[in-house]
Amino acid sequence: MKRIGFILSAILFLAVTVQVYGKEPAKTSEHKGYKIGDIATDFHLKNVDNKMVSLSDYKDAKGYIVIFTCNHCPFAKAYQDRIIALNKKYATKGYPVIAINPNDPKMEPIDSFEGMQQRAKEKGFTFPYLFDDGQKIFPQYGATKTPHVFVLNKEKGKNIVRYIGAIDDNYANPADVSHKYVEAAVDALLSNKPIVQATTVAIGCGIKSQM
Amino acid sequence: MFQMAKTTMRNFFILLMAIISLNSFDQISEKKLTGSVIASNQKHMLKIVNFDELQTILKKNDNKLYVINFWATWCKPCVEELPGFMEVNKSYRKNPGFKMILVSLDLATEIESGVRPFLLKNNIVTDVYILNDNKRMNEWIPAIDKKWSGAIPATMIYRNGKKLEFRENKMQKTELVQIINKYLKQAI
Repeated sequence: MKRIGFILSAILFLAVTVQVYGKEPAKTSEHKGYKIGDIATDFHLKNVDNKMVSLSDYKDAKGYIVIFTCNHCPFAKAYQDRIIALNKKYATKGYPVIAINPNDPKMEPIDSFEGMQQRAKEKGFTFPYLFDDGQKIFPQYGATKTPHVFVLNKEKGKNIVRYIGAIDDNYANPADVSHKYVEAAVDALLSNKPIVQATTVAIGCGIKSQM
Repeated sequence: MFQMAKTTMRNFFILLMAIISLNSFDQISEKKLTGSVIASNQKHMLKIVNFDELQTILKKNDNKLYVINFWATWCKPCVEELPGFMEVNKSYRKNPGFKMILVSLDLATEIESGVRPFLLKNNIVTDVYILNDNKRMNEWIPAIDKKWSGAIPATMIYRNGKKLEFRENKMQKTELVQIINKYLKQAI
């Protein structure tokens, strides 16, 4: 009788252990890259006009709208005109758009440098469209998808990350947008007010990298 | 003291009986379910849902291990990992404790022009839901996983409303099989 009791206890103990173990929360890998308030790195990347561009070239800028975007992604394509509009609205106010293609053309040929030149020409980009050659910049920022926006604000000579996320809340239909996240963030910076929504998430195309 | 041991023992018996009867109940429902699972897997099931509707599908308390894959027809790495997922589904779909669901982020307007032809062409036989809730992405992405930046493909494993795993990257078949086996072994 005692023995049965012991066996039963063992079974029950095992059952409970398995159950508890099964309910253990999954470990997910931490996202590397910038958080709000971090200092963003400058870069020296080739533009579609074959000239090198750095953030520090913009002496009069108050900050930057850095957008990781590309040619092939339907979300990036859906936002092309809105990115052009952002630059038109904010470059003169001190926050120019700097677009960077983070994709490895070996994995996505449409996102080649030549493809970028062609797209910039077709769409009449008025902002630099840079190639993250060697894919060294996007991991430092922590960009994971296209489009992925980082609004930087120049504070005491440093570029501080003030917004990370999506352009607005409706990629599919620009006529039905309720929240223009990037505009709200830059407007807040321009009027020295706190940014209400400093981070947002949206579906995008994962950055194509062999790393 | 002896009395206490006796009571504990009786409780053990009651619990054991409960476990045994629960197991046999599971076996009965297994038999029933196997038939319907095979039947529904002859063809894909395709439906447009919002996030609330998707939640009720994902958070069922039915002891099934749900493999949920977020993808889109235009997403190259998603399309590349799908054949591996379909092979995995083929080997597990008869297991009543397993179910694979694809959640497409294609536009709902492209259901007939893009998504369905893709499913037919690629012989996709799982349940497919088009998540049509674009304006609430900033709500449902963190609701699915706080660390999800929104890049696809992304895959998660659920059982009884609890998220067991989340991956925001392309998955190899071997990795997926490893995870599934780990949790199927832990079946309650």
